[in-house]
Amino acid sequence: MPLIAKVGKKGFRVRSLVIGISVILWLGIALHLFPVWWMFTTSIKSARETFVFPPSFWPKETTFVAYKLFFTLGSIVWEQLNYPVYVYFKNSCIITFGTMIIQIPITALGAYSISKLSPPRLGRFLFLFLIGTMMIPAEAALIPKFLLVKHFPFPTMSIPKVPFANTSFPTYDFVNSYWAVILPGIYSAFNFILFKGFFDGIPDELINAARLDGASEMGIFRRIVLPVSKPVFAVVAYFTFSSVWNSFMWPLIVLKKNNLWPMSLMLYWFQTFIMERPPQGYSPEVQHLLQSGIGFSGLMAMSIIESIPVFIMFIIFREQLMTGIRLRGFK
Amino acid sequence: MKKIKVSKQRKQLKSTTRQCLIIAAPSLIAQFIFGWLPFCAAFIVGFQKFYLFKPCVFVGLNNFKSFFYHNPMTLIIFRNTFYYAFLSIALTFIIPIIIAILLMEMKKSVIRVMMLLWFIPVASMAGIIIWKYFYNVNYGLFNGILASLGLPLLRWLNDPHLAMLCLVLPGLVMYGPGLIYIASLQSIPEELYEAAELEGAKFWQKVWHITLPRLRPIIAMMMLLAIIGKLQIFNEPYVMTGGGPSYATYTVVMHIFSTAFQSMQFGKATALSLILFVIIMILIIIQRRYFKENIDV
Repeated sequence: MPLIAKVGKKGFRVRSLVIGISVILWLGIALHLFPVWWMFTTSIKSARETFVFPPSFWPKETTFVAYKLFFTLGSIVWEQLNYPVYVYFKNSCIITFGTMIIQIPITALGAYSISKLSPPRLGRFLFLFLIGTMMIPAEAALIPKFLLVKHFPFPTMSIPKVPFANTSFPTYDFVNSYWAVILPGIYSAFNFILFKGFFDGIPDELINAARLDGASEMGIFRRIVLPVSKPVFAVVAYFTFSSVWNSFMWPLIVLKKNNLWPMSLMLYWFQTFIMERPPQGYSPEVQHLLQSGIGFSGLMAMSIIESIPVFIMFIIFREQLMTGIRLRGFK
Repeated sequence: MKKIKVSKQRKQLKSTTRQCLIIAAPSLIAQFIFGWLPFCAAFIVGFQKFYLFKPCVFVGLNNFKSFFYHNPMTLIIFRNTFYYAFLSIALTFIIPIIIAILLMEMKKSVIRVMMLLWFIPVASMAGIIIWKYFYNVNYGLFNGILASLGLPLLRWLNDPHLAMLCLVLPGLVMYGPGLIYIASLQSIPEELYEAAELEGAKFWQKVWHITLPRLRPIIAMMMLLAIIGKLQIFNEPYVMTGGGPSYATYTVVMHIFSTAFQSMQFGKATALSLILFVIIMILIIIQRRYFKENIDV
């Protein structure tokens, strides 16, 4: 507590300052948690109650029927979402964990190599090569990136011809597969900086000593570097998880088949269905569906389900997240 | 004797260089294919016109010109995007900094509890949807509060003058106390504050003369990233308003998206993204020149 004066701790001014600060902070937390609480109370309201105006702060009758949609929605709604929600949940898991499993080792090894093995001048060049794209806004390469996964490995609109032949080069179309989302994420410049900042702090002597003992570079990485760098791996794992889990625009572009959609896309279509049509216009069948739990309560229940994995990851990596962040500037 | 040693050293260096390249190879290849290749290709695609059933052709600067001549949409999208970036940075950028500074004044045990509560995360799409529900004209919370206070109801996202503000407001609440600020606050030596206290510095003087100058490099970097991010806003307007009402929230990246993936004009869309890229780069250069990262100047 460096800012508050240590002298005169019992004094009225200092006391009121401390109380004032904590009131501000608790108020901020209350505001921050309010949407989550609202999401939860709405999700346990009955479908009819969500259409009452003005909305009630606490549900009159609680029901968990909306959560049943996790197994049944889709099959009973309409053409855009004709799979049950757990299919979309599974897609999100495949995309997110696939990206994590491939990206984290690749990025960590790259950062270790630049941090500890590279000669100065080459290392400087490779470093700039590896972080340079971070300063480039992602949208600048958005369309060529789409073209790249559309006809891999050519990021252009038409595929070049093989010289002296009348055929084009063979290409591979990743669109409408999980790989279209996973592949562009197999390396991350931001995580590279986090890793390199941490590895730079590991003393060279430790690594040189192991090298004199005849350990291979991969052996050194596995036995000496890995055990001490758990905090940075936790931070990177959490950041990667939440960024891929929350990604929306890229899956929207490359996943056209609705059985491949992640949760974020499914929620997007679900909310257009609920919000963009007034309930008066619903046909009797849809009115029936609304009574069975679809409606704002169902939407909020699915939002809660989408948020749960992010929360679990946060709980798992909590300790490291709160202590282990060490970001160096661009030097 | 000396010569042998030197050549041995060189050999050692050569083998570490090889090791370095082998270990870094996957990341270098990935960065080349998915980082640099699409970016460089943008400078080719931006000058071409796409045809579905025949090879595309180079059209010179036509793609770029089409955004400057007789195109009212260009003005709309850039005005909206800058308005959004300005509004959201002016209203929300400073809050995580204040919270991080104030948080450090609490007792250790209180900090732990508060951070835990603050970081209860909401998936980003869920966060957007709950706010869209708050703004809902017929069943939303905000109109509910207005109605119970007896005030006239607002149309929120359906009101062209209010819609952009509605997109920014969630940022006032949906944030965490920036972990990065907390990390760099912890690295400020305690002696500085003690010395200041001996000199009789008050709370605000300490914040102004010690904390903020030490945070400045991080603030400058976060500001840079915020500008880059805000100018590329897509998700919030796309989900909440779809660009409406009457194009009041239609942003540059939304226009890129619809030009490319709904009208299939890839060349034009890439040209627009290059225009935005140049604007962002100019802003970055200005920002880096006038907000030096060095603390001890």
